[in-house]
Amino acid sequence: MAEVGNFRGLQAANKRKTFALLALFGVLMWVVAYAALTYFGGSSAFIVPIAVGLSLVSVWGSYYGSDRLVLTMTGAKLITESDNPKLFNLVHEVVIASGLPMPKVAIVVDQAPNAFATGRNPEHALIAFTTGILDAMDRDQLQGVIAHEMSHVANRDTLVSAVAASTAGAIAILSDFLMRMMFFGGRRDRDSNSNPIALVVSLLVLIMAPLAAMLLKSAISRKRESLADATAVSFTRNPAGLRSALEVLARDSTVVQQRSTAVAHIWIESPLDAKSVSRLFASHPPIEERIATLRAMESLS
Amino acid sequence: MEIIIALGVIALVIVFLVVQYNRLIRLNVAVDESFAQIEVQLKRRADLIPNLVETVKGYAEHEKSTFDAVVTARAKATSATSLTDVAAADGLLTQALRGLLAVAEAYPDLKASANFLSLQEELSTTENKVSFARQFYNDNVRELNTAVKTVPTNFFAGFAKVSEREFYEVEDPQSRQVPNVKF
Repeated sequence: MAEVGNFRGLQAANKRKTFALLALFGVLMWVVAYAALTYFGGSSAFIVPIAVGLSLVSVWGSYYGSDRLVLTMTGAKLITESDNPKLFNLVHEVVIASGLPMPKVAIVVDQAPNAFATGRNPEHALIAFTTGILDAMDRDQLQGVIAHEMSHVANRDTLVSAVAASTAGAIAILSDFLMRMMFFGGRRDRDSNSNPIALVVSLLVLIMAPLAAMLLKSAISRKRESLADATAVSFTRNPAGLRSALEVLARDSTVVQQRSTAVAHIWIESPLDAKSVSRLFASHPPIEERIATLRAMESLS
Repeated sequence: MEIIIALGVIALVIVFLVVQYNRLIRLNVAVDESFAQIEVQLKRRADLIPNLVETVKGYAEHEKSTFDAVVTARAKATSATSLTDVAAADGLLTQALRGLLAVAEAYPDLKASANFLSLQEELSTTENKVSFARQFYNDNVRELNTAVKTVPTNFFAGFAKVSEREFYEVEDPQSRQVPNVKF
């Protein structure tokens, strides 16, 4: 068990949980494929590689070009050191603390305070800030936010979410295909006398699988956010900075203009209205919980 | 068949040895690199000081002892080479700079001047960079020292000519002082 408040323990615990969730994804994928085979018989086996292939191509394409893709999707503009020397100073501090290469830095013109990180590996990392967050926060708070974003880079969260998204995508495509097959023509091997209970169960699995995949994807995203908070503290050794930054975000009610769910998971604070999304499907843990965890770390040091 | 198994076992053993050896070398290089980063940041700080002293002097001429302390500490810091000397001089300079900034607090004109404000930002970011560079160095030393002392890497330490390294510890009188409690 992880010691509460100890960032090393928290980091290890969050990594274990992510691994368990990714493994669950693999199991889910296997269950869906098995259910398809039970329901439709061997003739539907060809669908599994097609669904996986489609999903891989779409998600991995966006993973590889994530730094450029996200720039266009969020309207972020790359800046150079002369545009905002203070911000670059802060980023450079965290770069030294983490031992990571210097990322590209971008600005989103938006009143809502928020920030995100992306890029397929630390060498292609990009971190972006809204003009709102730069206005609202002091030095220590911004340092905490930058450390949180650089933690996503260090923990390779673009890769983790790409794995989660491609598996969830494959499961969605697969069950969509199979549902259609059910409506048009249905089971090919109707004559084979299979167990009716197995048929009902596999039908249920096909219906529930996309929902389960969404839940797993959100759970992974939430674990990665908690992990990034813990890693950020390991960089700055100053939980108070990130904690008070999160308090600023919690007090602020404005949300980032574009409410696209496609990029919701990459921001430091969920840009979607938290109350309208149920907790299980949320991409971020409740901000009060994150503040409480950081406060526990403060009392330790 | 037996030959294939024997060759396989030998290959595995070689891979294992290479991995351990490379890990030690990698950790050792990381320590060297992170020490170089400390030196880069200390140099940056030393370069900032003459400018800062001149600016403060323009507003607070008679704080001579504070300026002298900063200038002496800077001279010591720039001439130090060994890890212990660098760390000791670093601690002195940090303390002297703290004194200089405390002096600046008493002069509202100085605090408001654009030159001082930009110097102050430069100085606080450099202080942060210095302390993060120290922290990163010490983390790397900790990892190396653990590897040198634990199985299986400890068996290869002698062969790789890698040994335990010193932590970078700054003597900061302020943090060592026992708080003065009065009843």
